[in-house]
Amino acid sequence: MKQLNEVQPKNSAPSIPAIPSVERRMFMRQLGLLSASTAAFLASCARPTDDLISPGSGHSGARMGASILPDGTIDLGSGDLGISNLAYTLDQLETAFYATALEKAYGISQQDRKVIAELHDHELVHREFFKALLDGNGIPMLDFDFSGISFSDRNSVFDAAQQFEDVGIAAFNGTGPLIEDLELLKIAGKLVSIEARHATLARYMLQPKSYFSLGHELIDPQGRDWALTPEEVVKKAQPYIKQKISVANLPKY
Amino acid sequence: MNLFNILSDIEKSDAEAYERVEFSRRKLLKTTAFAAVGTSALLTTTLNKAFAADGDVVDVLNFALLLEYLEAEFYARGLDQPGLIPGNDRNVFMKIGEHEKQHVEFLKSALGGQAIAKPAFDFTAGGKYPGALSDYTTFLTLSQAFEDLGVRAYKGQAPRLKGNRDVLLSALKIHSVEARHAADVRLIRGLRVWTSEQETGGAPAAVYEGENLLYQHDAVDLISLVTPKIAQREGNPEMTTEKIVRESFDEPLTKEKVLAIAGPFVVSA
Repeated sequence: MKQLNEVQPKNSAPSIPAIPSVERRMFMRQLGLLSASTAAFLASCARPTDDLISPGSGHSGARMGASILPDGTIDLGSGDLGISNLAYTLDQLETAFYATALEKAYGISQQDRKVIAELHDHELVHREFFKALLDGNGIPMLDFDFSGISFSDRNSVFDAAQQFEDVGIAAFNGTGPLIEDLELLKIAGKLVSIEARHATLARYMLQPKSYFSLGHELIDPQGRDWALTPEEVVKKAQPYIKQKISVANLPKY
Repeated sequence: MNLFNILSDIEKSDAEAYERVEFSRRKLLKTTAFAAVGTSALLTTTLNKAFAADGDVVDVLNFALLLEYLEAEFYARGLDQPGLIPGNDRNVFMKIGEHEKQHVEFLKSALGGQAIAKPAFDFTAGGKYPGALSDYTTFLTLSQAFEDLGVRAYKGQAPRLKGNRDVLLSALKIHSVEARHAADVRLIRGLRVWTSEQETGGAPAAVYEGENLLYQHDAVDLISLVTPKIAQREGNPEMTTEKIVRESFDEPLTKEKVLAIAGPFVVSA
């Protein structure tokens, strides 16, 4: 009984939102230091990253940041850095998609534009957040190809938006349990419900007041949302990203 | 027994506790939140083995179950009131109600013998919301409050489930469904989809307390980072970067604060 009553050990399950800033700085520093050393190590041996990661690295937290493999593939890295880079990838994609929509969707109504601008700006905030968080461990700015999306048709724009946002939800849900650092888990929680609000808004723009607006087809008989593994997320996102993305070193279930 | 623990939590989560939480989390844990765990000593011998290593899991899931009971019954009773929910909106509330019922069943089966029983609810909160189940605007207001509160509650508890991947995954999956609900209800109401302290939509202000953070993760200065790239100000000069930043993150709420908000709707069993 005594154990149950004890305050949670540091770095594990505080029940209040305010986190001592020392702890937060530790997290930043931890990421930064690991990145610098692994980057140097990588540069010095120039081998495929797979060789550098010991089996079971999925349980080790921050680990290794992003790297570019000899064939140009962008490896998102391992541990929490890899998971953060996956989120950063999706936030880059969503921001670029909404920016393209604002640029190319001439015929749409003012109301539609306003909604797209709102979605754009939140994803921009998320993207810039991960960029700052990852610092030297982050992937570069990616190039995108949205040529398969018909920007002159508002329904196809909101349909693509809803799909991107739903993949965002599934990515955060699927990677949440793989996160080592509690601080990152909290951040993921703060972002995933914004993605869910976005998905609902995009769906509502297509079919208001419907089962569809609630994402019902993605929700299981226990009332639980969907989740995807990092591999599945990349499979969904890759067609829109010009560079090849690898999640080979991300933690696995 | 478990229900008593949760309800005793509600009683102890008074306004003074809010103050203390800012200054002394440790003290609060000893005096309030974890006191409930202490009283469940009698139950520890019967704890499900899967959860035995982590008493937090049972506590978290029962806390979630209490909120799901509340939501499920709220929608079931609302849908039962003739003429309360207009035809156009019934679809959405039937689906939301179905999800909440599924959450109840899921949590009950996960908890097995440790699940709390359903308490009695008073959706007028002792007369504060007399139209809870008779006036559609009040019903919508409470629906929004319960859904947004649910989102914050799950978000606040996720870190306590970190030791158990399966349970955490399910909690996260329920969490995003609650967020979909909250957004849809807000859209039906014609409100902004995102939360802030400024726009409560008539819900108790405490539901949105602490939603206005401008700095995330220590000192990441999002305002300077994004200001030059904001798209929303086009034809909308009152849209400030501050507003955009605070709407870009949903904040968690502690169990104590959630229970203090939900407490008035729970009648002792």
